Amino acid sequence: MFVDFFYMLKKVGIPVSPTSFLRLHAALKMGLINSIDDLYVGARTILVKSERYFDLYDQVFAHRFHGIEFKDPDEFELSEVARALLEEWLKDPQGLAHALGVNEEELLKLTPDELIQYFLERLKEQTEAHHGGNRWIGTRGTSPVGHSGYHPGGMRVGGASGNKSAVKVALERRYRDYSQEGPLTESQMGEALKRLRNMVPVGPKDKVNIDKTVYATMKNGGEIEIVFDRSMRDRLKVVLAIDNGGWSMDPYIDLVQTLFNYARAQFKDLKTFFFHNTIYDYLWEDPPRRYKPYPVDQLIHLDPETRFVIVGDASMAPYELMARDGSIYVEERSGRPSIERLKFVAATFRHAIWINPRLADEWPHTPTINYIREIFPMFELTLDGLEKAVSHMMLKH
Amino acid sequence: MGQLNDLRKFTGASKYVLDEELAKIVNISMALELPLLVKGEPGTGKTMLAHAIAEALGMRLIVLNVKSSMKLVDALYQYDTLTRLNDSRFGDSKRDVSKIEDYIRMGKIGQAFVSEERVVLLIDEIDKADTDFQDDMLDVLDQMEFDIIEIDKTIKAKKRPVVIITSNAKKDLSDPFLGRCNFHHIAFPEPEMMKRIVQVHFPDIDRELMESAVRTFYRLREIKGVEKKPSTRELVNWIRALRADPEFRVRDLIKGEVPYLGVLFKKSPDYAVAQASVARFKV
Repeated sequence: MFVDFFYMLKKVGIPVSPTSFLRLHAALKMGLINSIDDLYVGARTILVKSERYFDLYDQVFAHRFHGIEFKDPDEFELSEVARALLEEWLKDPQGLAHALGVNEEELLKLTPDELIQYFLERLKEQTEAHHGGNRWIGTRGTSPVGHSGYHPGGMRVGGASGNKSAVKVALERRYRDYSQEGPLTESQMGEALKRLRNMVPVGPKDKVNIDKTVYATMKNGGEIEIVFDRSMRDRLKVVLAIDNGGWSMDPYIDLVQTLFNYARAQFKDLKTFFFHNTIYDYLWEDPPRRYKPYPVDQLIHLDPETRFVIVGDASMAPYELMARDGSIYVEERSGRPSIERLKFVAATFRHAIWINPRLADEWPHTPTINYIREIFPMFELTLDGLEKAVSHMMLKH
Repeated sequence: MGQLNDLRKFTGASKYVLDEELAKIVNISMALELPLLVKGEPGTGKTMLAHAIAEALGMRLIVLNVKSSMKLVDALYQYDTLTRLNDSRFGDSKRDVSKIEDYIRMGKIGQAFVSEERVVLLIDEIDKADTDFQDDMLDVLDQMEFDIIEIDKTIKAKKRPVVIITSNAKKDLSDPFLGRCNFHHIAFPEPEMMKRIVQVHFPDIDRELMESAVRTFYRLREIKGVEKKPSTRELVNWIRALRADPEFRVRDLIKGEVPYLGVLFKKSPDYAVAQASVARFKV
């Protein structure tokens, strides 16, 4: 049952496993799911394993169960599931056997073809067992729990299911904020900060710790064991260059600045510059990019070990990057194309990276992103991207 | 109506406000005998859930607080070699030194397995441990048995415990781990729900105070650029502080004053940001 639902979930990218699908069936069989509301909650708790997919789930659920009649799965769908089960079986025989409630050894004796046949039969059995009438959901369960069944051991919940149908609840899309599809959001700040905390310098282990050496040697029964400590390193210097021109960057400017400011305590020095679209002869220390210019040539005076972090969407007209007078601001036209300046920055700071709030799968479609990626390693402004960016910056080249 | 009364009794007794959705999930997980992984922001009552289940079903609660340094075997059992050595030297205990079993002590998971009655096993903050710990633990919970190597004995669960696992991390746990659990994410409560929670903590609270405190609280949560937003725990403490202050009047809140801001924002940069925004509340 609900085979199409299962595949819809899979198709939109929610990692659902056949084993958990069987568990949902077990729950149906036990009469735990007696209404569409129960199905909404039950299928979610069993199938979906992260809140980031809850929003997708809501959409699929609403789409699938919005005033639609339930119909029987056909032979083809069933064999699709059976095949998926076989794959799952190969990965985790024990788990699947457990979910089916059969002995693993028995299944081990069967050939793959026999297995498929066996799964098919089981699926049909479950399908038939479940529709008295044209309803998909078992209606006469003697559930030990839940509020229509009664059982002394179950938890009871009060309240009739209220005024909202599951589909309506799903349509509300309460979990939109949790979906991690998009770039970093305010609510992920704490988590993002944890990633940045990894930006601490690591010196080589080359200092002898005498106290520990004596202790370890005594513990070793006199066999000499030398204990080394890491030598202290100065904390990192960080330069943050943010593209704050144009509305496309607006949602991220505050976010990135807050992020790095919170992490500031662990840096020796944090400088923030601003630019629009790409870097020409000047970076700006003030957000309106008007009063405090900082010549790019001056960057050479900074410590080359500085971590140079550029945040921008790297999306612009190609001539802005390539042409000698590419800047959209007349006073910035100095005769050197921006791409040369970017190469200069990359050559000056060996730990320079580019963080892009646009997601990686969009990158290939924008030519300027491709050019810039050849100069700087580029990372997404997501939790995962940030993690990768930090570990890249901490690499010893 | 009868059901409504039940609910009141339940929430009143346990200081826990259970929403219907969560109750269904707990029931399904119990029936399927699967561990329930609960995630959510701090202060949404993940840990309290296990306490509430234990209380509601009259079961004993065993809590395993996961620590980063913890090894799985610590959660299963400990072999107390030191006591055995002591006994063998001084021999003044009733234990039999030649019997190793006398020196095996059950850890939290072990206790849950040997218990004669069904218990609720809460594994709190699993994300603190490393992935190996997590996966191995799920193996044990899957099989409902483990071996004590020292005496070559297998401990099987007498009654399958109700397992609740909590995690704070926004990063996902490993796939095999997730594959063996049911999952729920407790969203931050809506204002209406929050009022009920407040009422459970302060049954005699003045209606006006509650309304304005909750309203101010949600307004404060909307402040941007804050690392740690105030959660339920902070709200409850804050209301406690407000009520303890004889000088405090509800009117102050309505006027846009926020006393004891430090109870709500505990990190100094957050506090500074909040203070600046609160100044703008007063119109």
